[in-house]
Amino acid sequence: MQATMSRPAASPAPRSLAQETAKISVKDLNFYYGKFHALKDINLEIPEKKVTAFIGPSGCGKSTLLRTFNRMFELYPEQRAEGQIMLDGENLLTSKKDVALIRAKVGMVFQKPTPFPMSIYDNITFGVKLFENLNATDMEERVEWALRKAALWNEVKDKLNQSGSGLSGGQQQRLCIARGIAIKPEVLLLDEPCSALDPISTSKIEELITELKTDYTVVIVTHNMQQAARCSDYTAYMYLGDLMEFGATEELFFKPKRKETEDYITGRFG
Amino acid sequence: MTTSEMLLQNAALEETRNAKYAARKRVNQIALVLSLAAMAFGVFWLIWILWETIRLGVGGLALSTFTEMTPPPNEEGGIANAIYGSFLMVLLATFVGTPIGIMAGIYLAEYDSKGWLASVTRFVNDILLSAPSIVIGLFVYAVVVSRFKSFSGLAGALALALIVIPVVIRTTENMLQLVPAGLREAAYALGTPKWKVIMRITLKAARSGVVTGILLAVARIAGETAPLLFTALNNQFWTSSLGEPMASLPVTIFKFAMSPYENWQKLAWAGVFLITVAVLGLNILARVLTREKH
Amino acid sequence: MPDKHLSTQFDSELNAVSTRVMELGGLVESQIRQAIYALSQFSVEVAQQVVEVEVRVNAMEIDIDRELSSIIARRQPTARDLRLLIAISKTTANLERVGDEANKIARMAMSIINSGSARSLPTLDLRVAADLASGLLRKALDAFARLDTAAAVNILKEDDLIDQEFDGFVRKLITYMMEDPRTISSSLDLLFIAKAIERIGDHAKNVAECIIYIVKGADVRHTTMAEVESAVQ
Repeated sequence: MQATMSRPAASPAPRSLAQETAKISVKDLNFYYGKFHALKDINLEIPEKKVTAFIGPSGCGKSTLLRTFNRMFELYPEQRAEGQIMLDGENLLTSKKDVALIRAKVGMVFQKPTPFPMSIYDNITFGVKLFENLNATDMEERVEWALRKAALWNEVKDKLNQSGSGLSGGQQQRLCIARGIAIKPEVLLLDEPCSALDPISTSKIEELITELKTDYTVVIVTHNMQQAARCSDYTAYMYLGDLMEFGATEELFFKPKRKETEDYITGRFG
Repeated sequence: MTTSEMLLQNAALEETRNAKYAARKRVNQIALVLSLAAMAFGVFWLIWILWETIRLGVGGLALSTFTEMTPPPNEEGGIANAIYGSFLMVLLATFVGTPIGIMAGIYLAEYDSKGWLASVTRFVNDILLSAPSIVIGLFVYAVVVSRFKSFSGLAGALALALIVIPVVIRTTENMLQLVPAGLREAAYALGTPKWKVIMRITLKAARSGVVTGILLAVARIAGETAPLLFTALNNQFWTSSLGEPMASLPVTIFKFAMSPYENWQKLAWAGVFLITVAVLGLNILARVLTREKH
Repeated sequence: MPDKHLSTQFDSELNAVSTRVMELGGLVESQIRQAIYALSQFSVEVAQQVVEVEVRVNAMEIDIDRELSSIIARRQPTARDLRLLIAISKTTANLERVGDEANKIARMAMSIINSGSARSLPTLDLRVAADLASGLLRKALDAFARLDTAAAVNILKEDDLIDQEFDGFVRKLITYMMEDPRTISSSLDLLFIAKAIERIGDHAKNVAECIIYIVKGADVRHTTMAEVESAVQ
């Protein structure tokens, strides 16, 4: 019998934003859907290896902002972005590099789970094959690593050859996360990843997010404030295309700086 | 409102509800009877056609049907050359028409789907799709047959290809459009280049629909007569050269069925039976491929 | 509360619990007044009433805490709402202890009156101090209802006065006891009453600190006056 009880680890004191290194720096970002001015002069620094959450009512621009980070808006001709999004010292928006290389660094998982029409194994290797030449053994290791990271390995290790669409919703979403991690990005963007899932799958994925931040910078968009409060280190509150407040999650939910933020999080308006 | 008033009101409501329900039920039954009658009417004709086909066609089937050439009147023979000719021309038409159709369909769905070129293409495609096949046959006659001064199996295959292409374009485009945008976005988000997204993801997801489209196109051209009349013409004898006039099942049936000779008529029915079986088989295959997988 | 929530249910729940707290405050205030009246008018009956009210006070404390737990569980309150609920919980605890102190005063008063030496004791000073303390509590509860931080700061300053009064009274009692040792036992009873009054002042101070916590989000317990004033700016 142990004579002394070990002390539980104290949670680290919250660091201020100023102490963090910025992984992505957004400067004077403006975004347009045709004539509609969707994002207005956004200035924001996403801290490295932390979870940042974007919250706000519908139509506030949080998903729009997220999708500028990997230039997804380029798929649609009427959408355009102006300003600077600095990643590792380079402006993503004007970079001459092939957008595929940017997306190799900045991965995204969407709201609806979208397994590719192929086996689970092929789903994971699809992205890896785009950028790396791995031999069969290394590839298998990578698949196992990605599935373990996504907390899915034990559930699918005996059916890697089965189609991805045979999995449950929560498993499919974790498959998409594994697929995104497999290419070893630096930033992971999650666009309402749990909206389509039941509470247990949601908890598993929130658990996953907390672990992922040791290796990746995570940005998550959520319309569920409590989820932002549970998972994130920093939270940005947006309203009608403006960034209203950005700060440490603990502070924002305990003593927000702006009345608009407080009104939103206490449910004093929609 | 007092209790007795409420009870009265509830009772009155109950009555009107029951009356309306009874009326609806009656209308429902009438409609049901009418639709069953309509269905029976349609099915009746289908079954009769199939029955006649089987009865008259199977009677004329023998090994010789598949091994001997089309005979002169009142002599025994088979329709081997017609079978072979149809098979060859349909195969060629499919091989030529399908890739063109799929690629055009990909262009319409994935590249520039709102541009002016796409709109024009779709418009022209719709016209071709509903063009009478005899017009297509005459076109190929004017451009190919009269130029080279000879009827040929090649011209026949070309005419059939011109029928396959619009069908495949239409179904490919529709099936690709049905693939959810989220799937494509997920592939792009991994850094996949556009052509790979189309080939490995979108097309794969639409695979069964596209294959169905092809099978239906094949089923259609298997039975087309008009385009072959002015292009492949017909040939009593065996030929495997596409540069010569070639026999085909539809044209042979056309010639034999209208004739007064009994052996020809029997062979015509055998041919009808074979085409029906082929078309039916292709349709069933198409259904099987598009069934919901768990 | 300034603005209304989208959920009127939530608003009414918060209002209900705030009202209960004010009720509790009123109840313990009346306990203090009655206890001091019992002492100054040498009335055992009035003192007995104070003891009987104690049961209600305890029941209310339990009720309020149960309501608070229910609101927190169901509403996941954040920011201002969260601070309000935490502050209400602390305020309720403080008020219940004020009730305990009033109860102690009443019991001491009964003991003094029954011992017979009441009339010769310096109870006047105690009455003054008690009025100060119960007045301070009244101010604190008012300020809480209005969430008035300026008033809260003043309350923190006034509590110092009560502490000074207490020290003065102790010195007086010592002199008294030295003059006539037969009065020691009753004097000690008076000392306990004085201590109880001083504690009531402290509890009022705690309620004032809660007000600052709700409005400014700053925890000003165990800080200096200067720090308090800067937190309220």
